[in-house]
Amino acid sequence: MSKVVVNNLKYRYPLTENLAINGLTFEIEQGELIGIIGRNGAGKSTLCAALTGLVPHFFKGAYGGSVHIDGINVKESKLSYISREVGIVFQNPFTQMTGAKETVKEELAFGLENLGVPKLEMLRRIEDALNLLEIDHLRDKNPLELSGGQMQRVAIASILVMHPGLLVLDEPTSQLDPQGTAEVFRAIKKLSNQGMTIIMVEHKIEEIAEYADRVMFLDNGKIVAFDTPTNVFSMNHLEEHGLRPPVFTRVCKGLGIRDLSGLYPVTLSEAVNEVQKFNESD
Amino acid sequence: MNLIDVQNLHFSYPEGIELLKGIDLAFDHRSTAIIGQNGAGKTTFVKLLKGLLKPVSGDILINGVNTKEISVAKLAAHIGLVFQNPGDQIFKSSVYDEVIFGPHNIGIPEDEADESTKKALIEVGLENKVNDNPYDLSFSERKLISIASILAMNTQIVLLDEPTIAQDDYGKQLIQGLVRKLEGEGRLVISILHDMDFVAETFTRTLVFQNGKVTMDNDTKSVFSQTEAVRRAYLEPPHVTQLGNRLGYTETYLTAEQFVKDSLRKREEFKQ
Amino acid sequence: MQNISLYVNKKSFVHDVDFLTKLIYIFVFIAIPIISGSVIIGLLAILISLILHTCAGVLKKLIPIVALSLFVLLSVIIVQAAFIPGYHIVFFSLGPVHFYQEGLIHASLIIVRFLDILLVSSLTVLTTRPSDIVETLQRKGLSHRMGYVINSIFQIIPQMVSSMKTISDAQRSRGMETEGNLFVRVKAFLPLIGPVVISSLVGTRERAMALEARAFSADAKRTYFHEEMKYRYKTPVRIILLLLLVVSIIWRVL
Repeated sequence: MSKVVVNNLKYRYPLTENLAINGLTFEIEQGELIGIIGRNGAGKSTLCAALTGLVPHFFKGAYGGSVHIDGINVKESKLSYISREVGIVFQNPFTQMTGAKETVKEELAFGLENLGVPKLEMLRRIEDALNLLEIDHLRDKNPLELSGGQMQRVAIASILVMHPGLLVLDEPTSQLDPQGTAEVFRAIKKLSNQGMTIIMVEHKIEEIAEYADRVMFLDNGKIVAFDTPTNVFSMNHLEEHGLRPPVFTRVCKGLGIRDLSGLYPVTLSEAVNEVQKFNESD
Repeated sequence: MNLIDVQNLHFSYPEGIELLKGIDLAFDHRSTAIIGQNGAGKTTFVKLLKGLLKPVSGDILINGVNTKEISVAKLAAHIGLVFQNPGDQIFKSSVYDEVIFGPHNIGIPEDEADESTKKALIEVGLENKVNDNPYDLSFSERKLISIASILAMNTQIVLLDEPTIAQDDYGKQLIQGLVRKLEGEGRLVISILHDMDFVAETFTRTLVFQNGKVTMDNDTKSVFSQTEAVRRAYLEPPHVTQLGNRLGYTETYLTAEQFVKDSLRKREEFKQ
Repeated sequence: MQNISLYVNKKSFVHDVDFLTKLIYIFVFIAIPIISGSVIIGLLAILISLILHTCAGVLKKLIPIVALSLFVLLSVIIVQAAFIPGYHIVFFSLGPVHFYQEGLIHASLIIVRFLDILLVSSLTVLTTRPSDIVETLQRKGLSHRMGYVINSIFQIIPQMVSSMKTISDAQRSRGMETEGNLFVRVKAFLPLIGPVVISSLVGTRERAMALEARAFSADAKRTYFHEEMKYRYKTPVRIILLLLLVVSIIWRVL
């Protein structure tokens, strides 16, 4: 069975007229890293909220279709129960800190205290998360006094300790500087390599091309394409849906560098190889 | 005369460590990007230009006027600042009222204020949302409102603190168009940015801040041509620049278009 | 970020005492001087509290607290000694104002009690981590929602102060005059309220979602990261304190 099964999902926020999500059907397998892209208002964040149960439990409104995570129907389950299966990390690292804990390790313990995890198990999970996200040296610091990149990694760690089977990240790097962004991407890559299923909304298209196994391209609450980065970014008319493909793809499109099935390079290393061949050919 | 002169600027908060350690800069009308790691002193520098903070030593002259000798409110007619978080400045219940607030404050006559407000809203593409409540709009739209509210004041100098956060490609292109237009009108845009691709495609001049000092100051292309120095400031060159570097090109590329054009030309030359 | 709690993080035997025992100390040390009605006993209680402050290394922190209350104390003396009718023995005079002996005695009793209450409370506030207080209360049945609210207040108030500052900067940036006479300042203050409230509401909503993502409303039996604070001598200390109380009551009744 697939990790995530979404069937004809529709949703409209209260007091609005248009569907934010309009008939999404897709499946995601265990261990995949999925990038969700599309212009503002396309439905990306709403989809994240629906995968984590914030829609329809936190945001009311009109809901149709279904979301199943590991066989659990999100609509039928309580938020506190879903939070064990699905973790979510938001844009703003600051508002994700509880604001009630004085050290990073206490911050990480918060979710575990709520779940009633025994003390020894708690310590073990906190140690693992501190190591995995390379924030061990911050354990006794006040979480609100960290840099953006550090704070965002604490936010991810505080979700990971709850051992979710699925991690949803809604623009986790949009408020970070280049170094903070690189730190967070490195952490995400590491988690993915360890087999975690990850769904990530991200505007940084070159990074999506580099890291994602598959890309879901949304516009107007609908799926325009859901395929490998190569297949999605090689499509024509992306600009009509408000999307600029990675700069490497744009360069290769400009030079007419594509393979026999009409696909373009999407990452730096692919582009380097292909442009080199192009320069040497005649 | 320079639009801004910064002379031997030092700044620290009382009993705090020194955040800016001796900065000398002159700004003409060239659009300028400020890049650097968080904590390098970028936002502090911009607040000093705006007069919100005063130098501990050294001077900042805006159009020849020392920021120490003029109130922030009076300076507002000459230099505008768009804050990073639009929530920090939006407080009116309609988009129009929000944008016209600044022009009213600096004493622009009513009909002129109305005109520049409407013009600013067209420039950010929000002309159809004039009567909406800003808090019914999305974060990225609120950011555009805060940009419009500064544009409407028609200041000679516009400061932007990370304008591209939360913007999609449409929003980024819109902001890019604005920066170029202001530069074309001889007005100075200075912007803090983390998006190197956007810097490369948009700004004429680039400053690198590191540890309270300006470590690089040149036209954008020259700055990004010094890959090692850029990396030492914990920054990555733009993606297309990296592509050129990896291919061993000596030329520094800032846009895909330029890269393509050059490659095709070289190929033609090679064939002949 | 600046911290609004008065807690002083040090190591001392006073810091080691658990919150409940401290509560008993507060109760007993306020009750005994009142029951005894004696200024001497009150002074003794104050002296003990002062010694405990010294042992805990928080005596310095006490100075501003006492200094602040001096104003109150001074007005107590003046009102009690000079303006309460019905006293006869003039102790001393300042121009036309007479200070009466009975009034001064009465004032000294009030001042001693006031200082006593101030000192026993401050000892607890200065030597107990706020989150430990909340956690103790939670273990005794306070809801964890309430506990969260109390804990977060300590962080959120400094946060609101700094966001006020940013918002005020943003208004000045658009030409709003904030410097000048009182009227200008008040006028400048009003537009601040909207953004401060809205931005904290927006922040609150985001935080509420983030808390839900961390099982805030789970109905599982909660566990605690911190071990329950165990004070080795808690039983003997509590017994001694209560004995003191009993003795003072008996002494008073006899």
